[in-house]
Amino acid sequence: MAASPTATADRLVLIDAPPDKPRRAWPFSPWHMFLIPVAVIMLAPLVWMLILSLETSSEAQSFPPVVLPSGPHFHNYVTTWNSEPFGNFFLNSAIYSLATVVGNLLFCSLAAYAFARLRFFGRDVLFVVLLATLMVPFQVLLIPTFLIVKHLGLVDSVGGLIMPNLCSAFGIFMLRQFFRTLPIELEEAARIDGTSRLGILFKIVLPLSLPALATLGIIQFMWSWNDFLWPLIIIDTASHAPLQLGLATLQGAHRSHWNLVMAGTVMSQIPMLIVFLFAQRWFIRSIAFTGIKQ
Amino acid sequence: MTARAERIRASDQRPALWRRVLGSEHLAGWAFVTPAVVLIAVFFLIPIGWALLLSFQANNLLAPGHYIGLANYRALAKDPQFRSAIGHTIVYTVVFVPVSIIGALGLAVALDRRIRGISFYRLAVFVPLVTSTVATGIVFLWLLDPTFGVVNYLLHLVGLPQQKFLQDPNQAIYCIVAMTVWGWLGFDVIVFLAALQSIPQDLLEASEIDGAGKWATFRSVVFPLLGPATLFLVVWSTINALQLFDEIYVTTRGGPLGSTTVIVYYLYEQAFQFFNAGYGAAIAYVLFAAILVVTLLQLWIGRRRVYYVS
Amino acid sequence: MPGVVLDEVRKVFPGGTTAVDQLSLEIDDGEFMILVGPSGCGKTTALRMIAGLEKPSTGTIRIGERVVNDVSPRDRDIAMVFQNYALYPHMTVQRNLAYPLRQQRVAKREISRRVHEVAEMLSLEDLLKRRPAQLSGGQRQRVAMGRALVREPKVFLLDEPLSNLDAKLRVQMRAGLKRLHGRLGITTVYVTHDQVEAMTLGERIAVLSDGRLQQLGPPQEVYDRPANVFVAGFIGSPPMNLLRGSCRGGRVRAGELEIERPGVPDADLIVGLRPESLQLATDGMPSLEFRVDVVEPLGDELIVHGSLAAELVAASGEEPPEATLSGANGAGLEAVARMSPRERPAERSVIRLGIEPADIHLFDARTGVAIR
Repeated sequence: MAASPTATADRLVLIDAPPDKPRRAWPFSPWHMFLIPVAVIMLAPLVWMLILSLETSSEAQSFPPVVLPSGPHFHNYVTTWNSEPFGNFFLNSAIYSLATVVGNLLFCSLAAYAFARLRFFGRDVLFVVLLATLMVPFQVLLIPTFLIVKHLGLVDSVGGLIMPNLCSAFGIFMLRQFFRTLPIELEEAARIDGTSRLGILFKIVLPLSLPALATLGIIQFMWSWNDFLWPLIIIDTASHAPLQLGLATLQGAHRSHWNLVMAGTVMSQIPMLIVFLFAQRWFIRSIAFTGIKQ
Repeated sequence: MTARAERIRASDQRPALWRRVLGSEHLAGWAFVTPAVVLIAVFFLIPIGWALLLSFQANNLLAPGHYIGLANYRALAKDPQFRSAIGHTIVYTVVFVPVSIIGALGLAVALDRRIRGISFYRLAVFVPLVTSTVATGIVFLWLLDPTFGVVNYLLHLVGLPQQKFLQDPNQAIYCIVAMTVWGWLGFDVIVFLAALQSIPQDLLEASEIDGAGKWATFRSVVFPLLGPATLFLVVWSTINALQLFDEIYVTTRGGPLGSTTVIVYYLYEQAFQFFNAGYGAAIAYVLFAAILVVTLLQLWIGRRRVYYVS
Repeated sequence: MPGVVLDEVRKVFPGGTTAVDQLSLEIDDGEFMILVGPSGCGKTTALRMIAGLEKPSTGTIRIGERVVNDVSPRDRDIAMVFQNYALYPHMTVQRNLAYPLRQQRVAKREISRRVHEVAEMLSLEDLLKRRPAQLSGGQRQRVAMGRALVREPKVFLLDEPLSNLDAKLRVQMRAGLKRLHGRLGITTVYVTHDQVEAMTLGERIAVLSDGRLQQLGPPQEVYDRPANVFVAGFIGSPPMNLLRGSCRGGRVRAGELEIERPGVPDADLIVGLRPESLQLATDGMPSLEFRVDVVEPLGDELIVHGSLAAELVAASGEEPPEATLSGANGAGLEAVARMSPRERPAERSVIRLGIEPADIHLFDARTGVAIR
């Protein structure tokens, strides 16, 4: 078996990219009979989301459902954008996601490197304690974290969103596993050459760890971008809300204007969908990695 | 060589004490972990302990609470609404986990082949994973709308009676299962696909030569080797199922008639709508204990029956 | 009745590579046939086609009297030992051995009997309850063979089964395989890239290169009378020295070497001299000058590397060897001779090597075909 977790995930290239050599010419295979309906079921909700966003409010609520909107009413998007502070939603989500990604990559790398390569007093006990936190569901932490953020004066702010998510035990665990698969000779050679430990981390270890870092970054980004519960608890003001909370607010405010709600939904999902379409391989590898590490 | 020269020599070889301390691995190690440790201590370790303390308090999130011992837990044990929440959560979990895993296994097997368009089919299965739980809830709220949702329309076309779906106390929780399966299936499929593709081609060929047909090969060779992946997904799906919240909030808010109030939603109501923070913390700890017990049970059963290929 | 027949079999892969080209081969019932050649020569593809894991693009394959092109591997009554053994990792040795019989719905008692019979034959009795991960390489190999033998197949296919074993084990297993074949007499097709295995194991060997059959015959015949330059260079270790030469008026010349060969037409030739045929020249022997470069003592003989007073060529299809660290004289090719330790040639000395005229092989320079 491959030593490196992401090396194993590399074989997942097979999952999303068909092999280069031309396949057997099976223009029709019985499997299509199964896969086509499945694809339809999986994509239909998204397709409907799009269709509804271009209809009028009454079309969106008519029976039978309208498949081809009159119009199409692109101005729904403008209306939706203006009805709630969508610009703020996007901005807040962007800040939230980027800050947590950067924070995780930075702090988890530092800690993971120390756990992987350095010997220091209390290291193993500390690591076990950190791992133990992975077992605790977020709901346990929810109320006290709210109180802590309140004491820090960060309630109803993006800072309050970010602070508890700047570093995760999962990231430390994952990066430590990865660092340990790197050949230690490279670091030892650098040490002999006089490089400081920090230098070794940044100049040698991290550049070799790009796949793992990308994996962690993507997982964290996706988690933050789609986060709902924590923003729900922490944020009161609409203009401070990140995207998913904003979307829920929109839905609450315009319950019967399905066309506008769907427009908002489309807008809020598009960034993630685009990133996914362009970075499929990374996504799939990241997701599979969480399965492989078991 | 004079004694003085020897002393000078010796001190050349050992750097000054302060330098040794600052350059020591211990200091470096601690320096590196400090940011992470501080963050995790403040936002994980302290809350874990604080939540426990809260569960022994009556607290309304605004004023400091006062201790009431095990009263919250005792109340929980007698609370019929909590018991319903547990029931709903169990029903959800018991349906969600097998459906999503068996469905994902079948899909993974179907997707693990080289036919035309396979990358399109794979993409179609993975895309819902990227959408947020809120978006999923909103879209399914429309799809399953009793009056104008397209699902009822399709039923109408084939002559089946119209359903109330999310507005029917008996159907709502199953609708939630459907939408969360839709949203999460891709994850399970990816894990299964990775596992399927890690089975050496040799083994499948050997099995074929040994006289096994496709189904026999799957049953005797492929499925046993999927053991670790299956176990992982069972544990992972169960943990996630027990923590269901977002979709409930966006669609049914725990209704109709409380039929979709699951444990975490009940927690949310208690802590942030009725401001019974202590009660909420107690609920959280009960959930924690449940997750721990269920997970350990699953791992224990799994370890004995799953073969790990090294 | 023939065991396995390949008739003008051709395999072209979807990418365009022709792995096997017009291969015709008749393997007798009960014969131990070896397919040997360098990697990429098509031998494994040919084996997999016999197994049914690949389908021929054109041509037919017969097992017994039956054309099996469209028959699935399950129904061909064959068994195969894979290079990496392909043991089911989650099953014990016993269940691995029993697996093929269970698939064929053989009665439980019979399964048990056959499994124990095979286990005894291959010394696996103590290992029956272990899993493959707990076995050594040699033990796994025997389990793989056992699983194949337990079915009492009509044809036994082996794909480089010894290549993952260490040298000593390989020698032991070779003898074991030969003994097994002697005892059971199953038609066997064995693929290897190791010409030593081919020579020692096969009743007949088929030398393949680039998907084509180069020569078919008993090992000794292939060694004594190679059909072309490729076979000459492939069989025999160290490989045959190939010199550029020519024939004019019945007189063959290669560098300093000269012999009379009436009947050979005027042509450019490649002259082959086996290292084991080269000896210190005595009077009357055709000979040529040899500058000794490196002497490798093996105990019972010496391998002597150096340069001959003649122009050496590479066997067809081979890359010229990499420049050595010593960069001796810039020339790419060296000659090799096998000599007795008593002859003790000194490094950097110049000696005269001779060869019996009968041991000189001649090949047409253009086609590579042997000239007798």
